Amino acid sequence: MHTESWQSVGPSLDECIKCNICTSYCPVASVTDLFPGPKYAGPQSQRFRENGQPHSPDHSVDYCSGCRVCNEVCPTGVKIAEINARARAHMAAEEGIPLRNRLLGRNELLGKVGSIAPPLANFGLHNQLSRVLADKVFGIAQDSKLPRWPKGGTFGKWVKKTQDQRLKSDKKVVYYHGCGTMYYEPFIGQATVAVLEHNGYEVIVPPQNCCGLPLLSNGEFDEAEKYHDNNVNKLVGYARDGFDIIGTTPSCTLTLKEEAPELLDKHDADSTDLKMAVWDIFEWIRERWEEGDFRTDFRPINMILPYHAPCQYRAHRVGKPALEILQLIPELDVRESCARCCGSAGTYGYKKEKHLIAMAVGKELFDFVAVQGPGVTMTASDTETCRWQIELGTGLPSRHPIEIVAAAYGLYNLESRQLTN
Amino acid sequence: MHKLQTEVLVIGGGATGTGVVWDAALRGFKTILVERRDLTHGTTGRFHGLLHSGGRYAVKDPHGAEECIRENQILRKTHAHCIEDTSGFFVVTPEDEGDDYPEKFVAGCNAVGIPCSEIPVAEALRREPLLNPRISRVFEVPDGSADGFLAAHATVNAARVAGAQIMTYHEVDELIVEERSGERHVVGARVHNVVTGEHIVIYADIIVNAAGAWSGKLAAMAGAEVVILPSKGTMVAMNHRLVNTVINRCKMPSDGDILVPSHTVCIIGTTSVTVPNPEPLRIEPWEVQKMLDEGEKIVPGFSKARVLRAWAGVRPLFQETYTGGGRDVTRKLALLDHSQREGIKGFLTITGGKWTTFRLMAEATVDTICEHLGTQRPCTTATTPVPGAEQGNYWVGHRLHDVEEQRLQGDLICECELVTRTMLENAVQRNPALTLDDLRRDVRLGKGPCQGGFCTYRAVGILNEMESAGNWNHDMLDESADTMQWNAAHLQSPAHNLTRDVTAGNGKGHSAESPTVFNPNLLLRDFLQERWKGVTPVLWGRQLKQERLDELIYLSLMNIDHLPDDELASPVTDFYNFDTTPGPFEPEPKKVG
Amino acid sequence: MLDLVVIGAGLSGLMAAYTAAQSGLTVRVINKGLGSMHWGAGTVDVLGYAPDAPEKPVQHPFTALANLVVQYPDHPYGLLSSDEIRAGLASFVALTEEIGLPYRGSAESDQNLFLPSPAGAARPVYLAPEAQSAGDLSRSEPMLIVGFKGMRDFFPDLIVQNLAKQGHQARSAFLPLSLVTDRIDANTVHLAEALDDLERRTRLGHELKKLVKIGERIGLPAILGMNDHSVVIADLERLSGVPVFEIPTLPPSVPGIRLYKALRSRLLELGVRIEAGMEVVSAEMTARHNGTPGSIQSVISATSARPYKHRAHNYLLATGGILGGGFNSDHTGHVWETIFDLPLTVPQDRSMWFASGFLSPTGHPIFHGGVVVNDVFQPVDGGKLIFSNLWVAGNILANADPILERSLEGSAIVTGIAAGKAIANL
Repeated sequence: MHTESWQSVGPSLDECIKCNICTSYCPVASVTDLFPGPKYAGPQSQRFRENGQPHSPDHSVDYCSGCRVCNEVCPTGVKIAEINARARAHMAAEEGIPLRNRLLGRNELLGKVGSIAPPLANFGLHNQLSRVLADKVFGIAQDSKLPRWPKGGTFGKWVKKTQDQRLKSDKKVVYYHGCGTMYYEPFIGQATVAVLEHNGYEVIVPPQNCCGLPLLSNGEFDEAEKYHDNNVNKLVGYARDGFDIIGTTPSCTLTLKEEAPELLDKHDADSTDLKMAVWDIFEWIRERWEEGDFRTDFRPINMILPYHAPCQYRAHRVGKPALEILQLIPELDVRESCARCCGSAGTYGYKKEKHLIAMAVGKELFDFVAVQGPGVTMTASDTETCRWQIELGTGLPSRHPIEIVAAAYGLYNLESRQLTN
Repeated sequence: MHKLQTEVLVIGGGATGTGVVWDAALRGFKTILVERRDLTHGTTGRFHGLLHSGGRYAVKDPHGAEECIRENQILRKTHAHCIEDTSGFFVVTPEDEGDDYPEKFVAGCNAVGIPCSEIPVAEALRREPLLNPRISRVFEVPDGSADGFLAAHATVNAARVAGAQIMTYHEVDELIVEERSGERHVVGARVHNVVTGEHIVIYADIIVNAAGAWSGKLAAMAGAEVVILPSKGTMVAMNHRLVNTVINRCKMPSDGDILVPSHTVCIIGTTSVTVPNPEPLRIEPWEVQKMLDEGEKIVPGFSKARVLRAWAGVRPLFQETYTGGGRDVTRKLALLDHSQREGIKGFLTITGGKWTTFRLMAEATVDTICEHLGTQRPCTTATTPVPGAEQGNYWVGHRLHDVEEQRLQGDLICECELVTRTMLENAVQRNPALTLDDLRRDVRLGKGPCQGGFCTYRAVGILNEMESAGNWNHDMLDESADTMQWNAAHLQSPAHNLTRDVTAGNGKGHSAESPTVFNPNLLLRDFLQERWKGVTPVLWGRQLKQERLDELIYLSLMNIDHLPDDELASPVTDFYNFDTTPGPFEPEPKKVG
Repeated sequence: MLDLVVIGAGLSGLMAAYTAAQSGLTVRVINKGLGSMHWGAGTVDVLGYAPDAPEKPVQHPFTALANLVVQYPDHPYGLLSSDEIRAGLASFVALTEEIGLPYRGSAESDQNLFLPSPAGAARPVYLAPEAQSAGDLSRSEPMLIVGFKGMRDFFPDLIVQNLAKQGHQARSAFLPLSLVTDRIDANTVHLAEALDDLERRTRLGHELKKLVKIGERIGLPAILGMNDHSVVIADLERLSGVPVFEIPTLPPSVPGIRLYKALRSRLLELGVRIEAGMEVVSAEMTARHNGTPGSIQSVISATSARPYKHRAHNYLLATGGILGGGFNSDHTGHVWETIFDLPLTVPQDRSMWFASGFLSPTGHPIFHGGVVVNDVFQPVDGGKLIFSNLWVAGNILANADPILERSLEGSAIVTGIAAGKAIANL
């Protein structure tokens, strides 16, 4: 247990003036009584949760989805989501972690295993019987949208296979692809490489592992720390050498930048150097664009595109750079969602007891997409679990903004999700 | 005029008085307690809640230390539910190094039987991560954290069950002194109900002066001299617990060297300043500063943490003026038999002491009463747990746990301290209450970060609805069976306060003859002012921001400064209304003696 | 580069952003979190109690304002002419019409409305959302104040009793809370969202009809719909057959949140994004030197990693007072403006911060202090411009206690608009 981190929430809880703005904006509290709201579960309950208690006094904090909308709206700067994450870790340390949560926390491992024999794994995971079993035995919601392993193999395999075709350049960036791109959506990585190379950057794809967020949000702090340490070891050299490390999944980059260092009390030089080198891809592109170093030779894309900036993206507090870049594409009518959260919030929506809550939370977003009219054929969002959730809720395909940009360069087919050359 | 006859009349509703009434009732005496305000209004309601192990006195006052550890072990059984078993550390900070106090301390503890063990600093820091990492030694002793409000209620509850009568908001106007064959006898007291104005004469065989800091004044009514030097002690409560163990500095006792976790807060105390009167007590800026400075030595960063509130209590320091060889029980607590001292019969004064030894003080007092009344009845309080003790020690998370277990989140009135509507309604129905301040003591209403910002209005709204339904018990003499069965232990426990329909109206509370001072606007104003009283000495930073939100609510939104009835006052309105704003910073005055 | 960065998303910041954006400027609003509008009644108080007569409510705010600025020339209202104040309020009213949340004043022009507070006091208000304005205490219809059993933020008996003491005809009634929600733990926002549901509000309307007598009007807690507010009110009035009005509640303020959300949408249409969760932690600036004012190059907000620089030609500081976080204080008595360390009029000595008594009619000096600006809302030190490209509006301005004098929203709106105009007119 990270005792120090447990205590270090103190200064932040002292900021709470009990105004309940967070409770009023919390997407989970607005649809269920099972979560008593961020103020209640966070700074308020924290005064009753201290070391040396007979047992964790409360468990409803487990219904916090970790979306961080509370942090975003709090007028006094209480780090509510962090208080909740720590309370959950405390509970996990005390009471153990259900097997289901251990599974969901290890998406990297699952990704690896499935990638050995994708068709078999897909059948194994997606057939009716196993979904029923997963629901009944593990509590993985039967109706949630689980990823599929692609036929063509992992992103790593593609990088290796195409290494001779990759651009070599003095301008280099390091790509942190994360588990989703590695095992389930290699095309996101392909689109990213295409966009970066189009702008004259050589893309380095170093060994890396899961950022540890699923473990953090399931309260497995010790395990998450191992993942984080591994990443620091593997990546900090690049950071020291002055490379920007860019990622396409905002929740992963958020973890490397802030969540892991904060929650795990990793304030050493290595973690900090890595933190300061990590960028969300559009945060990075926006900087290049502002410096005049980003190509805008876009072909028009004539469509209405509802775009949702994931809650975990907003937690970066860098605005909505993907939206700003998408708006540069001719004829693309980007509609900005003000919905608070899609509901999935990482692994939250996969849990049987939370799936309906996740869908109810997502309704605000699904309704937003619906009112954009029948002409809408796809949506866009930055995080894979959000896209899967939006697809589940709207029945429309959802794309990463980098796919849209790659398509606007003429490098990528949005339908087939394949590079065009 | 109403007349009552009793064997024992106890004056004063603090720890001492409630202890005496409990002991006397258990020994079968017909007993009445009168208190001019609510129970624990005085010093008992204003201490830092430390259940002493005796460690603090181990070097300076071995006898006192021995009493503490013995009483500590007794109260853990008789008042278990009023105690949190926090344990206690005596720490040697860098400022405390350089003498042999730690050795003396250990020897002192061993001599009087205080369990004391030195633990590794690393172990102490693991348990208390915010503790100053530069401490060099740590000793663990069985200190605890006590809820003096609940304990008084529980003690009185036990006394009631044994037949005692408790009359709060009854002030003594006069002691009735008669001459009998050349001797002066105190035979009774004239009191009045400060709410209704009703006058009552209470005749008693013996009268116990347990008026604490006011006992000199009361003794004077009998023609006796009791010199009390009121010594003000200022305490500062922080917004949340910085430690979960009582932390004492391992050095000769002085100002600001104890940090006590108490429910959701921690309290640092105290200063010690002789004052002319027990109230009003102004808190000087240097006192607050000193507490923060001393806190900083225990927990680095202390002075940057959010301060919730400050208050002061008075230690009734007894100064012996009588040289005729009295029979003081100890040097610390003073039981004065005025028949021996001044030849005034039927009148005892019990004063001094500390909360931890209140039961012992009561025992000594009632032993003397037995002597006076010519009867031998053994004391049983040490072996008779009060109702509720069977619940065991409380723990800080219990309300959070209860609220979640019973799904009472929607019922919360005071969200900071997790007070439910039903807790409030029960407290009002079962326990006489005049102001929201009384309910604060009963259920912790308004004691959290927002200091009444949200709950004042809600509580007033609810009480007003109860009043309309005839459900607020205003009768200070109510001794109905219902009240007697009411277990004071339930006051603070959401789990024991599950929703009942109070709007049906039992009508017993409010009879046509008993005039009521109920006025919602007055309640609002009084409680907001009461909270203001305690925050002004520490109003800066986050607490100032909070206060401004409270202003927005009560001025801009509610407009309560322009409500009707602004001429009304309650018997305690004046008590809240004195200038508590910080004066210019003056350094601490030099201590005399 | 942007034309304007507004720091703070309260009424003054949003009105400044709106004014500037309407004039064609590119504007971004950044804010640490949400505030002010979410706490208050959602009304616009212009001047409820004049500082020289705090016990008597102001009837005619513009007459009182004229006196106020003569007596207190440094008052923020003193920076504007009476016409400018009127025009500012009028443009706010027009904006509220546009966004579908119309605000109304007294039928007789220039008068304050008197509306029931949640404690039953008469609140002097200049403009109120349509849904509150029917609570006008000068109207003759008796009031039926309806509450919900178990709701912790609304107490009809208290309101009714206090209204009665002030000579108003009112009675109370209760409905079960289950009529509005199935939840056991719902705050006012959740209740308002529940009444967006057609079936629920229809049920409520039918129940109200059973309770009300002909000729009465119905006062309810301000939970009458969130996104479909106007439809909810219309439905309830149709079903009950009488006028229906809202009485504000403890924070969170549903009327305030409605206003915030509607303003946010309107600003988004104008291309102005409110970037919540962006706390400004520092600024790049040059100091005043040799008679030349300094200037701001960027303001820097905290992100998950590296600082985020916001560059603009101009900056508007609308961070509010002590409550909004515009200035902060510590136990040594130090008070500071949190972003640019602008000079404050607040006494740097705790012994001078407070008057005795929570409800002191003179208010507390610390809440009266703030930033001094010139007549175009630029901060000055001893009359000299501090930064060439910094403006200040709202409750951070010195020489008024807007909560005490009940000018909170009015002064925020008119100073915000004025600052926005000053920037647009550069």
